[in-house]
Amino acid sequence: MFRYFLRRLAGLTPVLGAAIVVTFLAIRALPGDPVGVMLSDHSADVAMATRLRAEYGLDRPLPEQFLRYVWDIFTGNFGLSFRYVHRPVWEVLRDSLLISPLLALGALALALPIGVLLGVQAALHRNTMRDTAIIVSLVAGLSIPNFGIATFLVYLFSVKMNLLPVAGWGQFKQAILPIVVLALPSAAYIARLTRTFMLEVLQQDFIRTARAKGLAERLVVYRHALGNTLVPLSTSAGIMFGGLLSNTVVVETIFNIPGLGRLAIDSIFARDYPVAMAVVILFVLFYALINLAVDLFYALIDPRVRQEIAA
Amino acid sequence: MSGGKDSADASSGRFIRRFLRQRNAVIGGAIVLVVLAVAILAPWLAPHPFDATDLVNVWAPPDAVNWIGTDKLGRDIASRLIYGARASLMVALSVVAITLVLGVALGMIAGYFGGRTDGILMRIVDVTLAFPEVVFAILVASVLGPGMATVIVSLALVWWPGIARLTRSLVLVQKQELFVDAAIVAGASPGEILRRHLLPNIIAPLIVRASVGIGFIIMAEATLSFLGLGLQEPTPSWGSMIRDGLPALRTDPYLAVSGSIVLGLTIIGFNLLGDGLRDVLDPRLHGR
Repeated sequence: MFRYFLRRLAGLTPVLGAAIVVTFLAIRALPGDPVGVMLSDHSADVAMATRLRAEYGLDRPLPEQFLRYVWDIFTGNFGLSFRYVHRPVWEVLRDSLLISPLLALGALALALPIGVLLGVQAALHRNTMRDTAIIVSLVAGLSIPNFGIATFLVYLFSVKMNLLPVAGWGQFKQAILPIVVLALPSAAYIARLTRTFMLEVLQQDFIRTARAKGLAERLVVYRHALGNTLVPLSTSAGIMFGGLLSNTVVVETIFNIPGLGRLAIDSIFARDYPVAMAVVILFVLFYALINLAVDLFYALIDPRVRQEIAA
Repeated sequence: MSGGKDSADASSGRFIRRFLRQRNAVIGGAIVLVVLAVAILAPWLAPHPFDATDLVNVWAPPDAVNWIGTDKLGRDIASRLIYGARASLMVALSVVAITLVLGVALGMIAGYFGGRTDGILMRIVDVTLAFPEVVFAILVASVLGPGMATVIVSLALVWWPGIARLTRSLVLVQKQELFVDAAIVAGASPGEILRRHLLPNIIAPLIVRASVGIGFIIMAEATLSFLGLGLQEPTPSWGSMIRDGLPALRTDPYLAVSGSIVLGLTIIGFNLLGDGLRDVLDPRLHGR
């Protein structure tokens, strides 16, 4: 098991390597001179420009700049920010680091039970009014953009009913609306998947056997049928995490939450590209780690996979 | 069943009948047709120019002149919503076209030649799929700056790997067929085989697959415009209109609400149509 873990961990190298190379090239490919951005109204000061260029390593040949870039990433400070001159990128994003992944995980934790429950209900009552009603709300949930949902919920709960804060970060109350907004489309997606998987599993012979031997319907559905949809569901949950991470950017912007996503957008507008690129690398890393965790999880729950690893 | 005059006629007739039997797909198709018509006829339908400002008449409520009121610069919201359909569809069609060209070309090369070429191309696909979507927008917006090009390029980067994978698997099946051997024996070059013999046999499912994603592409375009990374002023985009309307939600909800409704309905239309098309064309779902 441990060797499997190490092998999967090593499998992340090409993805992270690609992220590092692409972000380096993106910073290099940018039009204009970063030192010009930093100096803004002092742009005529040649001595200062030379000093900054040396401090940021921009006077070095490209291969050396690349090695320094990689070194800065592995030592954890991610180089220096363009906007906050002299400050390492790490200091700029340190306080935001875990907000986006926590929001995404919170949303996943909320979406999974709701989605599975709705999906099972739709599958058990296939082609009835209940199924149709659930499917219609799923299509709506998947089609309305999250900022539209956010607009509606803020209007309802914050402006009209005055129950929850409009925006901000730090209290539990302020996390409720952002997580709900993130979770709704995912819940709809999970419900659709669960319905499909359940309809397939319920046709299987072992379900008929379970019913034939007189097992309670509740056990048949929730232990035998649902248990067998867990593996495909957990894979989808890992992939969904990438979408959730992407959507935190929108939610953090709407609710004024100081997470990595909003920081990346702010940095693009402030031309602070090293910070934006650090967010890219971190997002790729978070996504890779979650999918690694999912792989390990179903190595644990699925005896077939476990055996394959042992062999 | 009433038989058609020839087989092609019969099969397209059966296709249309099967399609019309799906109520959701028909509703979706109707919405899509309306949006298409509005986008094409925008200059004739819009009651006012989309960029005509009227600074003494800002945030006006709906009346006979401005059907849905005006925005913070006194521009007519209805006209801007109508022109916004153009932006959405332009981006969606561009992204579909680029992903089809790129994904199909690379997928065909990988599937047909196999070996090391295949290995390298599929590795690139795997790595691309391992990046969360938003990362492409951050990367491209950093290099190109906010604008329509950024939206199109970053969405194309997200969508091509899926098309490439599907193309590859379709080619792997088709290249076992006798007509490919026949073409090789007849002396056709690999380029000719790919273009003239394989492509016509695999293109239909690929176009369907690319079109099914249009709803999600429109949503992604609106999201990027909402974040300020997409289309820039004064060109109207539903996403940026909703963003402009949000701060005024308390006092003047018409902009944000009308934008959200139009955008939501359009995406629902494309998704319903896409689901319907997939069900009709998926051979596993109909027995005969």
